[in-house]
Amino acid sequence: MTKTILAVDDSGSLRQMLSFSLKAAGYGVIEAVDGQDGLAKARQQKVDLVLTDQNMPGMDGLSLIKALRGMANYKSVPILMLTTESGDDIKAMGKAAGATGWLVKPFDPARLTEVVKKLIG
Amino acid sequence: MASCELNASDRMQLQVASLLSGVSTHGDQHLAEVERDLVQMDVLLDEAIKKLCASFMAIDQAIGVQQETLDAVLATGMAAPEQNARLQALRDEIGRHVGAAVTGLQFQDMTSQLIGRMVQHLAGLRDVFGALGGNGAATLPESGSEEMLAMLDRIGDRVGARCAELNGLVRSTVNQRHMESGDIELF
Repeated sequence: MTKTILAVDDSGSLRQMLSFSLKAAGYGVIEAVDGQDGLAKARQQKVDLVLTDQNMPGMDGLSLIKALRGMANYKSVPILMLTTESGDDIKAMGKAAGATGWLVKPFDPARLTEVVKKLIG
Repeated sequence: MASCELNASDRMQLQVASLLSGVSTHGDQHLAEVERDLVQMDVLLDEAIKKLCASFMAIDQAIGVQQETLDAVLATGMAAPEQNARLQALRDEIGRHVGAAVTGLQFQDMTSQLIGRMVQHLAGLRDVFGALGGNGAATLPESGSEEMLAMLDRIGDRVGARCAELNGLVRSTVNQRHMESGDIELF
């Protein structure tokens, strides 16, 4: 059965590149334009992994992670932060919020799919 | 003598008012131009990336179909082993280029964030110029160097307050200086 990934980013081109890379690796992809949209889509359909940007209008990535971790069916779903930010402080905040890992943009498709495969097969 | 001093004071006040007004108006005009150019650049980059992505996807799809066709030919056993190896090497090479292109095409996400931050700083600077101009000619004291100094102090305080607001306005979120893929850390 195809594993589904929720890709949350306010940049259309980034979502396009994520979708392209993950679909080429055999995953299904649901796109969301910001944290609020991501949360709504995660509620509509349980996904196998969430990839989220940090800096987005409205709800940011950290708030999305906290909201998802508060939902019973997302307690153990891997959530990866994919962001331009790489500071130790914000990484620590991501870890405390419940992120599974931290990926700094730009991403390399092969390395991204390798990590995703490691987490959800 | 007193009349002469008053005239000099009046002239100084007029010059200060003119200077403040000029700096405020021209500064604001130039910053508005820079802001417009940055917003236009962001729009152009956005449109460019959409076209680049669309073309890139189309090329990738065409290559995929071409490879399927080649696979069908190879399955007939008509190709020599060295041709098979060459085609496989080409396939790997294409895969590497596709990966590099996907990494490179993410530039717009970063440039857009940087432009957004610049625009916010420009808006803050325009506020600074606004504070300078808004307290210029309209509120000049009628006479007296002490009053003039007090007024300049007030302007200085307001500009200082705007500058302080500007410093804490937007945190830098993009520190990348090249387009190599970033670090990955699993917690």
